[in-house]
Amino acid sequence: MSGEPSLSPLRLFFREAIARSVGEEMRRDPRVIVMGQDVGAFGGSYREFSGLFGEFGGARVRDTPVAEAAMVGLGVGAAAAGLRPLVSITYMDFMMLGLDPLVNYGAKLRYKTGGRMTAPVVIKTTAGAKGQGVAHSQCIEAWLMSVPGLKVVAPSTVADAYGLMKAALREEGPVVYVDHKRLFPSAGEAPRDEILTPIGQACIRRAGSDLTIATHGYMTGVVLEAVDVLAGEGLSCEVVDLRTLSPLDVTTLSASVGRTRRLLTVEEGQVTCGVGAEVAARMRESFGAVPMARLGALAAPVSFNPVLEAACIPDAGRVCSAARALCG
Amino acid sequence: MIYKVSLQAVAPDVGEIRVLEWHGAHGARFEIGDLIVELETHKALVEVRAGQPGVLRRVLAEAGEWARIGVPLAVFSDREDEPAPDDIEAAADLMVDFVID
Repeated sequence: MSGEPSLSPLRLFFREAIARSVGEEMRRDPRVIVMGQDVGAFGGSYREFSGLFGEFGGARVRDTPVAEAAMVGLGVGAAAAGLRPLVSITYMDFMMLGLDPLVNYGAKLRYKTGGRMTAPVVIKTTAGAKGQGVAHSQCIEAWLMSVPGLKVVAPSTVADAYGLMKAALREEGPVVYVDHKRLFPSAGEAPRDEILTPIGQACIRRAGSDLTIATHGYMTGVVLEAVDVLAGEGLSCEVVDLRTLSPLDVTTLSASVGRTRRLLTVEEGQVTCGVGAEVAARMRESFGAVPMARLGALAAPVSFNPVLEAACIPDAGRVCSAARALCG
Repeated sequence: MIYKVSLQAVAPDVGEIRVLEWHGAHGARFEIGDLIVELETHKALVEVRAGQPGVLRRVLAEAGEWARIGVPLAVFSDREDEPAPDDIEAAADLMVDFVID
């Protein structure tokens, strides 16, 4: 490797991007702490906090009981009192237990105190289907998009897993950081330098002219797979990876849909009141009745049975069918 | 006889590994159970231990390098003076045991 510039990117596992990001922020700011189930000596359910307990000790990397309402409540309270906690909720499904402290207290604190107090807490959680059944597979990030005062980010790459976590830990209000079980086996490039991924900025993963496909998280890779197939059929798709779900980057979306005049949204969660519903409504407000379609999970629970699980959630084949139908 | 050490799926979902440390230099002899190399997957450390005796002839993926599952990581032989061909894709797989941390 000698002779290569030191600015060459660093290849990391997805989990390492998170650990590196949190470690750097903990070194930079003594107020950053980590709380969650198995985040301590075990290093996190996906080893995404590996090394932090050894470096920073049990006072700053704290194991908690299986009590999500208390965990989020502690995080919001500690944030209000001056710390910058990261609370790890292993499965996004169990964020439901922590919604009261997050939504009723954390997200509203700045408003309620006329800006005198804030709750700079990051809730890091893992969404998505991967053989774990009805209550460990859900993508409920769209629920959170309608909460004023709450920001929601969802990385799809190793670089953004790193950069969005850094940005989230520096925010002044609560941020929900949603990753995905199927992203953890991936490896990819991250910048060698400390670079933040700005919150509120989508990213065009593939430029195209016939159709805009807006997606986020793990589905970004599924969409890119589909777009390769569609390119072979002469269909040129632009892929917008939202990266931040709240606030939505309407500027990037509008610029893309303004060019392509067609929109497909793809998400693993439910279509009804989903991420795509919001994206489509915003684009409708800008462009009127351009052709649009939404693709998401079937209106059914996600089974642990692999056949039923696959039947429920979008795959590249379904993305291709939806794109062809829109452009036909 | 010439062998290659290539990693078949050690665990579900593992597509790529990173070599952590080789436990022996070129010419080193390994007996059954000896630790050959430590690898990292997305969630675990994996020890690759010899499942048959052999001599390490060539390392193809140094510590710190990444390799996809199925790509040969090293060349082994029964005897240290056997000629080892450049193309070892066709070579038999060295028998190994995996210990997953």
